[in-house]
Amino acid sequence: MMMLLDKLQSLGHSSLSSVQRLGRGHVFLLQVLPAMQGMLFRPSLLIRQMYSVGVQTLLIIVVAGLFVGMVIALQAYNALVDFGAEDSVSVMVVLSLLRELGPVVTALLFAGRAGSALTAEIGLMKATEQLSGMEMMAVNPIERVIAPRFLAGFISMPLLAVIFSAVGVMGGYLVAIELLGLDAGAFWSQAVAKVDLYHDLGNGMIKSAVFGFVVVWIAVFEGYDCVPTSEGLGRATTSTVVHSSLAVLGLDFVLTALMFNE
Amino acid sequence: MHKPVQAHTIPAQIIKIISDNQQAPKGPDLSDTLIKIRGMKFSRGERMIIDGIDMDIPRKGITAIMGPSGTGKTTLLKLIGGQLHPDAGSVEVDGQNVHKLKTSQLYALRKRMGMLFQSGALLTDLTVFENVAYPLREHTRLSEGLIRQLVLLKLNAVGLRGAAQLMPSELSGGMARRVAMARAISLDPMMIMYDEPFTGQDPISKGVLVKLIRELNDVLDICSIVVSHDVSDTLSIADYAYVVSDGEVVGHGHPQELIASDSEWIRQFIDGLADGPVPFHYQAAPVLDELISGDNSS
Amino acid sequence: MSTRTIEIAVGLFVAAGFAALFMLAMKVSNLANYTGDDGYEISASFDNIGGLKVRSPVAASGVRVGQVTGIEYDSGGYEAWVTMSIDPQYDKFPTDTAASVLTSGLLGEQFIGLQPGAEEEYLIAGSEIELTQSALVLEQIVGQFLYSKAEE
Repeated sequence: MMMLLDKLQSLGHSSLSSVQRLGRGHVFLLQVLPAMQGMLFRPSLLIRQMYSVGVQTLLIIVVAGLFVGMVIALQAYNALVDFGAEDSVSVMVVLSLLRELGPVVTALLFAGRAGSALTAEIGLMKATEQLSGMEMMAVNPIERVIAPRFLAGFISMPLLAVIFSAVGVMGGYLVAIELLGLDAGAFWSQAVAKVDLYHDLGNGMIKSAVFGFVVVWIAVFEGYDCVPTSEGLGRATTSTVVHSSLAVLGLDFVLTALMFNE
Repeated sequence: MHKPVQAHTIPAQIIKIISDNQQAPKGPDLSDTLIKIRGMKFSRGERMIIDGIDMDIPRKGITAIMGPSGTGKTTLLKLIGGQLHPDAGSVEVDGQNVHKLKTSQLYALRKRMGMLFQSGALLTDLTVFENVAYPLREHTRLSEGLIRQLVLLKLNAVGLRGAAQLMPSELSGGMARRVAMARAISLDPMMIMYDEPFTGQDPISKGVLVKLIRELNDVLDICSIVVSHDVSDTLSIADYAYVVSDGEVVGHGHPQELIASDSEWIRQFIDGLADGPVPFHYQAAPVLDELISGDNSS
Repeated sequence: MSTRTIEIAVGLFVAAGFAALFMLAMKVSNLANYTGDDGYEISASFDNIGGLKVRSPVAASGVRVGQVTGIEYDSGGYEAWVTMSIDPQYDKFPTDTAASVLTSGLLGEQFIGLQPGAEEEYLIAGSEIELTQSALVLEQIVGQFLYSKAEE
């Protein structure tokens, strides 16, 4: 009986602390958003962060995009050739990339590479008292350290997603034309007929903007809020990757249901 | 608007440092307090870290805050700097109640405070030079040339002018603290807080730091607060000292008074006794009871 | 890394992003069809629109000339009310043009096919097509077939 009560108590305790954490995260966001105007005076902060967050994630995005595009083309071909509809391979490649795989896979890769790096960096600054030191030097660490990273992530994500999709389409094209021997003209014209600019490309970009916001928010908050020890840092980085991934997948469902409801 | 750095006082200070002008240590003017702490209470979770502290820290001179580990000395510094908010009580710095200030006023006050963290807290992606220049770049609009001269002078004061281009990861612990000191005096503050500056230092580094703290305080004519549990080194340079234990002030006075004191707390701390008001045994049931009950239950 | 290199790298990154966006927009989406946003709207009512959807194409002689912009149920006339936007360059459809719901290929999507009539006046914005033919519903065709078979 006591065991049950203890278990219930710990369940209640962890629920309460999760809610508390969620609240802290929102308060944090409310502090970060107005702090972004500081970057109007110091664009160099933003540029530097866009390099470390955006440019350095480019390699993995391009490689992943290429392979994903090629795989979809292969699988789509296998599925469609039985119906004699192999000309629609391009449609499958383009639509699945633009609507789903571009935003989602990019967000997951981004969370793993850039998100965890952000958490580790900020957490380390917290653990070595650099953030505290900045406060005592009358420099607002949220304005100087957090906000540039936040904005850089938010801008980089849609750019990376669109590069992923474009490279994926190229990969699909290569496989379809060179490997499977489909007609190049049919490839592009089928896609043009079925892909809508606003509905598919536009919605995909909206998705990646939303994912970018959420992933970078989680990454930056986990770093800022972490327990400033080496194991606390490790837990925070893992937490970033896990929570961002779950959030992206959950939001993807919600957004897809909202946007692609025929 | 920020106060511009007073260029005309700097040459005078350089002359003093370079010619090693030994000044006779002045006794602190206790009537002129820079920091007033009244009825300070602070708890973390259920633990009462600071339980009713009153302190007066004079405007000039070195004031030491000493006590056993974990008694909230660092917390006290953070409360003075406004980084933590007390459960009760007030801190007044230069007439301003720290916790009632608006953010911009608090930041203005912090520009006049220098703080030396235990680990130095240098920004790891900047060189030594950039670190010391950081407050100048952020808060003043001085030209690059003038900033360079100021930074080199500050580094020279701590003896590290030659290390200007090193990265913090290439510095030893003692050197990092000295760089942090140079950074703390960048804006010529009215006070500097040192959080455990001597901890973990070899005798030579310790000697350097001790000498530097005393010299800087005399030359710049400011208030220095040294939080430490290193009795001999701290008392050798302090003008006044507070002994804090269990969240309360258990004694204060000039170093000579404290060394001659008969208070139990102060005696245990200063003489380094293993047992006394701070007990040797962590709280537990009496030994025989525990051993006996152990036999019965097995 | 020097500031200059970093800035160049970031500039390239952003440029690559935009290039990718343009490439996708141009090559694989129906951007071309969007330049004709200023088409003229006409309408028609059908007994049954089958699987017709908003943005389904409108074609004449197999060539795409516009798209469906709206589908509503008219409870007054108990019919489906379809509005479509025709590209402005195709402005010579006679007023007795017929509109039918056709299927592209065997199992393909449905579209509206326009068959021009012989009148001299042309359809303009707001016109309604009188002659319409509904989609072929499989069950009705099968029912007709069985009925005619039973009669034999």
